[in-house]
Amino acid sequence: MNVILSAMTAIKKLPLAALALVMMFTAADASAQCRTFTKKRCLPQLEDYVQNDNYNTAVLIPGDEAELELTFFGDRAYRLLVCGHPVLGDLTFQVLDSRGNGIYDSTDKETDHFDFRVANTQQMTIRVQVPKTEAVIQHEGCVSIMVGSKG
Amino acid sequence: MKLKHARFTLPIRIAKWSSMSLCFLLIGCGEASDSASNAASSSEVTLDAEGMMPARRQKAFKKIFHAVPSPIETAMLLERSGIQFNSESLHDLDKAVGYSTTELQSVNLGIYAGDLSYSVIFNQNQQSVDYLNTCRRLCDGLGVGDIINADLITRADNNRDIRDSLVDIVTDTFYALNGRFRENGMEEVSGLMAAGGWIEGVYLGTRSLSSSTDDLKLRIAEQKMTLDNLLGLLDSYAPTPALTAMKQALAPVEAAFAGVSITENPAAASAAEDGTVIISGGPEVKYDDATLAAISESIAAVRNQYAQ
Repeated sequence: MNVILSAMTAIKKLPLAALALVMMFTAADASAQCRTFTKKRCLPQLEDYVQNDNYNTAVLIPGDEAELELTFFGDRAYRLLVCGHPVLGDLTFQVLDSRGNGIYDSTDKETDHFDFRVANTQQMTIRVQVPKTEAVIQHEGCVSIMVGSKG
Repeated sequence: MKLKHARFTLPIRIAKWSSMSLCFLLIGCGEASDSASNAASSSEVTLDAEGMMPARRQKAFKKIFHAVPSPIETAMLLERSGIQFNSESLHDLDKAVGYSTTELQSVNLGIYAGDLSYSVIFNQNQQSVDYLNTCRRLCDGLGVGDIINADLITRADNNRDIRDSLVDIVTDTFYALNGRFRENGMEEVSGLMAAGGWIEGVYLGTRSLSSSTDDLKLRIAEQKMTLDNLLGLLDSYAPTPALTAMKQALAPVEAAFAGVSITENPAAASAAEDGTVIISGGPEVKYDDATLAAISESIAAVRNQYAQ
């Protein structure tokens, strides 16, 4: 009788364990898809800028924000690219100096990148917003903040 | 009664989990995997057209990224600052076989990545391929040997005389490594590798301070800001003995950089005549030779602690 009960318990637990595994692998697959998405959709947009090889990519939903603080070296040209899956709509981003003052705002500008040259080395913060949506079913998508530099 | 309850709850629970798993199976945020590159375009169309990517959470959050300049970026900075290539400063290739722990493999992967970048930027072609091979050996040990595979080494070897191609190969490779480490939950490895790369960059930049240009000295002093980025990165990960040890090892370096004074000033963007946006203003950096000497000494100590 005990053997039968044990077997029944094991059978009950099996689907849960299997499904937990499916969830784990699916989450990992979503991350892998983000890397592929970034490689195919975002990296080419850096053109002749040498990419910073940091992996600043995450799966975000409407209303999310992302922030990156980085040091930019003096007398060097940079391309800052904010690349998101189209399902998330038009992302906006701002560049702030080390005191939190706004330097650039992409709102109302139809571009996903900002090209600039830094006169003096400084730390700046890039703040990204995923627009909110009234849709009943929300979607998530990859967002990548990429930084390329040259000369 | 209990049996009856069990009969009803099991299908309900299965249904609940099944629906959740179905949702997860429908989730996607990009295209098909690398291996299916030929079919990628059709997969993209399907995903984009359907747009079926239900969110796994409803509450918005703020994602904070931490990043440090890449070894290639640091090597370019050193080159522009007038540093002379010195192969004697580079880490011994033969020592790579002796690193058997994840901690040492990770830190030294970063150190060798720094040497690889330095070699590439200074057109040391054979040395570049040798360092890439050494990185491959450490990647094998860390379980990500497929990223620096035989094809990549061959491609690097075939392009050894084209610096831009080698730069692309190195940046793509380390971007892929960083991505894989994040995907696989190997934050510790990612953090230690970033630390190793940063340490080696500052180490190479401070080997001949007495003959350094003022520009190079300023660039070294400015690394106080990138150390701040690095410590932020290490702090963003769940603490492990190896990450804690790295932060402790960097404490004397942080103390040496305390001698660099940074006065924060507001920055402003303006357009140059050719339309380029210039961001000027920002921090004013002050330092003296004694501070640079202390940085040089402390960075050599931590570098040699891990690279022994």
